[in-house]
Amino acid sequence: MSEFLIRNAYVIDPLSGIKGEIMDIAIRNGRIVEEVGSNAEVIDADHCLTLPGGIDSHSHVCGTKVNFGRYMSPEDMRAGRTARKGVMHVTSGYSVPTTFGNSYRYSVMGYTTVLEGAMAPLEARHTHEEFTATPHQDMLANTLFDGNWSIMEAVREKDMKRAAAVVAWTLSAVKGFAIKLTNPGGTEAWGWGEDVHSIQDQVPHFGVTPAEIIQTMIRANELLNLPHSVHLHCNALGVPGNYRTTLDTIDLVPDLNDKRQSLYLTHLQFHSYGGSTWKDISSKSEDIARAVNNKPAVAIDMGQIMFGRTTTMTADGPMEFKLYMLHHNKWSNHDVELETGSGIIPVYYSRKSLVNCVMWAIGLELALLVKDPWRCMLSTDNPNGAPFVKYPEIIALLMSRHFRENEIALLDPRTAHYVPLPAIDRELDWYDIAVMTRAGQAKALGITGIGKGSLAPGAEADIAIYPLKPESLDPSAEYQQVMAGFGKTRYTIKRGRVVARDGDVVVEGANSTIWTRATVPPGYDLSVDPEFMKKFEQYYTVRMSNYPVQDVYLPRGICIPTEASL
Amino acid sequence: MRVILRTKPRKKPFIPIEAETIIPQNFLRKNDIRVYEGNKERRLEEIFYITAEGPAVSPDQVEIVLSGETGNIKRVGEYMNAGRIVVEGDIGMHCGNFMSAGEIIIKGNADAWLGREMRGGTIRCEGNAGHYCAAGYRGEKRGMRGGLVDVMGSAGDFTAEYLSGGEVRIHGDCGDLPGVEMRGGTLTIGGHCHRPCGNMTGGTCMVFGRVYDLLPTFRGAGNEEREYRGQRCQMMLYKGDTANRGKGSLLVKKNLNRTGTD
Repeated sequence: MSEFLIRNAYVIDPLSGIKGEIMDIAIRNGRIVEEVGSNAEVIDADHCLTLPGGIDSHSHVCGTKVNFGRYMSPEDMRAGRTARKGVMHVTSGYSVPTTFGNSYRYSVMGYTTVLEGAMAPLEARHTHEEFTATPHQDMLANTLFDGNWSIMEAVREKDMKRAAAVVAWTLSAVKGFAIKLTNPGGTEAWGWGEDVHSIQDQVPHFGVTPAEIIQTMIRANELLNLPHSVHLHCNALGVPGNYRTTLDTIDLVPDLNDKRQSLYLTHLQFHSYGGSTWKDISSKSEDIARAVNNKPAVAIDMGQIMFGRTTTMTADGPMEFKLYMLHHNKWSNHDVELETGSGIIPVYYSRKSLVNCVMWAIGLELALLVKDPWRCMLSTDNPNGAPFVKYPEIIALLMSRHFRENEIALLDPRTAHYVPLPAIDRELDWYDIAVMTRAGQAKALGITGIGKGSLAPGAEADIAIYPLKPESLDPSAEYQQVMAGFGKTRYTIKRGRVVARDGDVVVEGANSTIWTRATVPPGYDLSVDPEFMKKFEQYYTVRMSNYPVQDVYLPRGICIPTEASL
Repeated sequence: MRVILRTKPRKKPFIPIEAETIIPQNFLRKNDIRVYEGNKERRLEEIFYITAEGPAVSPDQVEIVLSGETGNIKRVGEYMNAGRIVVEGDIGMHCGNFMSAGEIIIKGNADAWLGREMRGGTIRCEGNAGHYCAAGYRGEKRGMRGGLVDVMGSAGDFTAEYLSGGEVRIHGDCGDLPGVEMRGGTLTIGGHCHRPCGNMTGGTCMVFGRVYDLLPTFRGAGNEEREYRGQRCQMMLYKGDTANRGKGSLLVKKNLNRTGTD
C-alpha cells in the first residue's frame, strides 16, 4: 500500500471549483483520498503550482502515419537525441520522435493522458503497439470514420441507427475511443483524385454530402452514449477563404448532451482563413470565435503553429497533396481500403512568410477571443502546427501581452494588416490555463467519470507540480519563467507514482489504453449482419474474423462501457 | 600553435576512431580531449603521441597536423570554424562535416562523405575522395551550402549530391550521378563522369571530360566558352533537369564527347 502526501500545494482544480488554494493532497493506491496515515511519504510542494495531470486532446504520436513520418524523415531523427540515462531509453527525433521520446517529453511537461488524433481502424494494431511503448501516458485513440463505406451507405439511406451500429462494432473491434471525422467525404473523394470543397459537395459514387455525414454521426454518437463527442477535422483545411465552410459546419451542430459539447472541432486555426488566395489570406478568427461563443454545443482546439521545422501528417490526403504542390519536398500519400487515407510532408514555418505569420496569429486569437476556456483547448495538433514541446511557449504567449508584442515585432511587417492580434489585450490567468490544458479536455472527452482531470478525492492521482509560484509571479512580465516552469515539472505523478522529477524520468512506466464499448441490442449487432459480413468478403483484404484487435495488444486496457439507446 | 598528432600503434587497428573533437577551437584551451575507439571512450593521449609547439590566442592560429595511420579516423574537423588541419596521409569518413570556416588539407585520400553539409571554409584533398564527396545527408534537402572542396584526384558516386551553395572542384573523374538533386552552387569535374545532375533544380555543373549516359531530360541551349586550368574551352550548354522545372545548367566540353552525349 503506497501512500503520499503533497503538502503546501498551490492547487488549481477547475473541475472541483478550486481556483488557487494552498492545500494538502493525499494519495493512496493511485487514487486521491481524503487523508492518509502518518507514515505516508511527504512531498513538500512549497506553494508551487499544482494541477491535475495534463491531458492532450489532440495529438499525433502513435500509429502507422506517425511511423511513416519517422522513416521518411531521417533528418528529423538527427535532432533531439538523448542518450540512455537511468531508466530512460535512448530517444531521437524532434517533430516525430521515438515513442519513448514522446512519452518522456510529455511526462516532463506534466502530461499524463494523451489522445491520438487519428487511428485508421484497419491499422489499429500498430497504434496499440506504439501505445504500449509510450509508457508514461494513458492513451486514447480517435478512430477514423470519414470515408467509411458502410457509414456513407447508411448516411445515404438516412439510417442513423445503422451508422451507430457500424460505429459500435468498429470501436469495440479496434479498441478505439471516439469517432474522428477527417475532411468527411474528402478522403474517399481523394481516392478518385478529387476533393470536396464545401459541406454541400457530393462525395463521388456515394451521393452523400459532408453535411449529411457530420449530422448523422453527431446523432449516432449520442445514440451510443459515447463519452466523447464527434471529433471533427472540418473540410477545406488550409484553403484561403475556408472560414465559410467552418461557419456552415458550426451551424449544423445540435445541442444534444448536457454533460459535454456535441461536437469537437479540432485544430481550428487551420480552418479560419479569409481571403481567396495565398496572397491575400487573412484572419477570420473574430467571425469564428463569435460563432463558437454563440454555440455552447461546440468545443474547439487551437491548432497553434509555431515557427520552425516540423512534419505535417493527417488523414486528409488531398490537403497534403496541395501542400506538396507548394513545397515540392518529399510527400507520402496513403489509402486505407474502405476507410480513409493519409498524407505526410515535412514543413518549415517561417517568420519571413506572411502566410505563416497570419497562421501563427490566428491560433492565438482563437484562444484569446473564445470567452469560455472550457471550450477552447490548447494544442498544436502535434506535430502539424509544432511539436508539443512548444506548449510552454504558447502558454507564455497567452499569458503575456508583452511577450506577444515582442514576438509580433519579429514578424513580417505586413502581418498586422491581416490579423486583429495586436489589438487584443486579454491575458489569460493561471485558472484559464489550467482549464485549457487539462480540465476542459477531461470534460470534452468525457473522461471525468474515470477520474481524469481533477484532484477531488476518488480521482486518479495524476498530478503535475510546476516550479512556479503564482502568489508572487507576474506571468505578464515574467513570461520567461512561465515558459521554463511549464516546460519542466518539479514532480509529475502518474497514478500515485512519481514518474518524472526536475526534467528526469524516474520510472519505466506502465500506461493504460482507454477504449469504449457500446452495447447494442441484438438486431444491431453487426458481427452477425449478413450485409456487413459480405462487405468484408467482397472488398477487404482481411477477413472479418481477423480484423478485431486482440486483447493481447492492450496489456492494461480500461474499457468504458456504454448502453446504446437504439 | 602547431599541434602534431601522430598515431600510436593499436592492438586492433581496424576499429574506427570517432574524432569529432579534433578541431582547432578545442585545442586552444581544453586539455582533456576525448575520442571514441569503437564504443570505448579514450583520452587523446591513448591514441596519439601529441606534440604542441608555439602559442595561440585564437583558434585561427591553431594548426593540427595528423600523421601516421589516420585512414580510420572519422569526423575530423566536424563543426570546425577556424584554423587549419593538415592530414599527412589518408583520412576516414565524414572529414569536415558541417565545417563553417578554416582549412583542411589532406595529402592522401579521403574516405566517403568528405565535407558533408559544409557551410564554409576550404577543403583541399590531394588524393582521391570517396563516395558522397561534398554531399548532403539522408533526408536532408540541402547539402553543402558554402565554401570550397577541391579534390585533385577522382571522386566516387553521388559527388555534390544536394549541393546548394559553394564550389566543388573534382579534377579527376567522378563516378555515377555527380550533382544529383543539385539546387545551387558550382560543380566542376575535370575528368569523365556518368549521368550527371539528375533532378537538378539550380546551380551550374561543368564537365571538362566525357559524359556517359547523359540523362534525356536535359535540353540543349547553345554553346558557351569557359576557362579551365588556363585553357579556354568550347562548351555545350544544357538546361535541366526538365523533369524538375529545368533551371540548372550543365556544361559539357565539346569535341571529346563523341559518345554518350548526342
